[in-house]
Amino acid sequence: MKHWVDEVLSRQGIELAAGRAERLAPGLDAQNVDDPLRAKLPFEVDPTTYVLRLDGK
Amino acid sequence: MSDPATLSLAEARVQLNRGAISPQELEQSCRARIERWQPRINAFVSTEKRGGGGDGALSGIPLAHKDMFYRAGQVSNCGSKIRRGWLASETSAALERLDAAGALDIGALNMSEFAYGPTGHNDHWGDCGNPWSPPYITGGSSSGSGAAVAARLVFGALGSDTGGSVRLPASACGVTGLKTTWGRVSRHGAMPLSHSLDTIGPLARSAEDCALLFSAIAGHDERDPITARAPVAVNLGQPVRAIAISTAWIERNAHPEVAAAVLAAAKAIGAKLVEVEPPPFDMLGAHCLTVMGPEASAQHAQWMRERPRDYSSAVRARLETGFAVPAAQYLEVLRLRALWLERFVGETLAAADAYLVPTIAVPIPTREATGAKGGAEMPRLLAEVTKLTRWVNYLGVPALSVPCGFDSRGLPMGLQLVGRPFAEGTLLAAGHAYQRTTDWHRRVPPLQ
Repeated sequence: MKHWVDEVLSRQGIELAAGRAERLAPGLDAQNVDDPLRAKLPFEVDPTTYVLRLDGK
Repeated sequence: MSDPATLSLAEARVQLNRGAISPQELEQSCRARIERWQPRINAFVSTEKRGGGGDGALSGIPLAHKDMFYRAGQVSNCGSKIRRGWLASETSAALERLDAAGALDIGALNMSEFAYGPTGHNDHWGDCGNPWSPPYITGGSSSGSGAAVAARLVFGALGSDTGGSVRLPASACGVTGLKTTWGRVSRHGAMPLSHSLDTIGPLARSAEDCALLFSAIAGHDERDPITARAPVAVNLGQPVRAIAISTAWIERNAHPEVAAAVLAAAKAIGAKLVEVEPPPFDMLGAHCLTVMGPEASAQHAQWMRERPRDYSSAVRARLETGFAVPAAQYLEVLRLRALWLERFVGETLAAADAYLVPTIAVPIPTREATGAKGGAEMPRLLAEVTKLTRWVNYLGVPALSVPCGFDSRGLPMGLQLVGRPFAEGTLLAAGHAYQRTTDWHRRVPPLQ
């Protein structure tokens, strides 16, 4: 059975060398971290809200 | 006069204005040093004169820039095999502004492949060597910029900073580097890596020199829609009242030599020190990678499908990773960005003008230990080198890296001052206050 990373990349036209998916997977797991502010994220916030905050608005 | 190339940019301006030295003598002095240093550190990919030289605040000052700032009709290789020999059709906004200020552009500087690497390794153009000891990393991705400024080959250089690429080479090479606020300097005509994170900033010999370069390049540009209209004001005499710091965290987590240098420097700035909880560096750094990965991979998608073997193994692996980050995870992290910025400004900087932390918390490693032959320890070493820079890019705020000493091996150490959005002037004033009482930034690596 193909590793899920192989599947995801293959669907985007990116071919991985054998065994590469297993080496990439730990890094992907490490990026998916718990964030205490997730629970406080207002429904209306979208990525452009950040630009307003940067301008002090 | 001793070697004019060893003056600071600000001092060279004074000498030029007095007529004590000519622009030709200044350029010749830099070129003579390039000839001697290039075989040792591989900072340049081209030493052909590229442009500039008119009247203005930087008239006659020799600069060179990371090989990713386009100049119409000239080659930008972007540190890659894929773009080797690629001719640009337009000139980057930052170079246009330096040209308008009269600066000379005397060559193109080495960099990590497509600016996607933190050490200065480059499989296609050769690694850049640290001027203080070439077996050690320069830091990246603006490797040639850090090395060339440190060795006094040019008076300043542009770099780009997406996860630390101005500050890491500034710290590792012992120069001053300014990561600007996201949207402060136009990225028009500069090679993109990650549009939500990419920033452009100067590396130079002092905060004063960085202020001169920053003032020339910053400001709104219609061709980069994210550039802000906030005024660009630098007053190096501006008082810096308080600096936030997390002393216990630094003592616990930084190498003892780095901790001692950074904590001594904090006192030398002369501002009140305010103890605060450290921001969650690791979590915010992971968020930075969650943004950077998919954006970089999308930018490179076509080449990754058509010619993946033309990337180095390390860059190819980073690009492969970005294709596997779920879209919802990427977008949720971007939604969280506003909240974390509010928290940094409202809590960490509630009673301070800047937050002080090491730029690199460990002594800089060798090129061998962090390269393809680095073995099982290599990922851990890279994570240590980048631990304290990526969180700043996720927040999008400015940071100034300033040299603050040398470790027991004689290699530079640096601290960074992280500020509010568009408060580059405050950081430069704090850096200048520190450099008026210390001489780390004046040390010149010997050519052995």
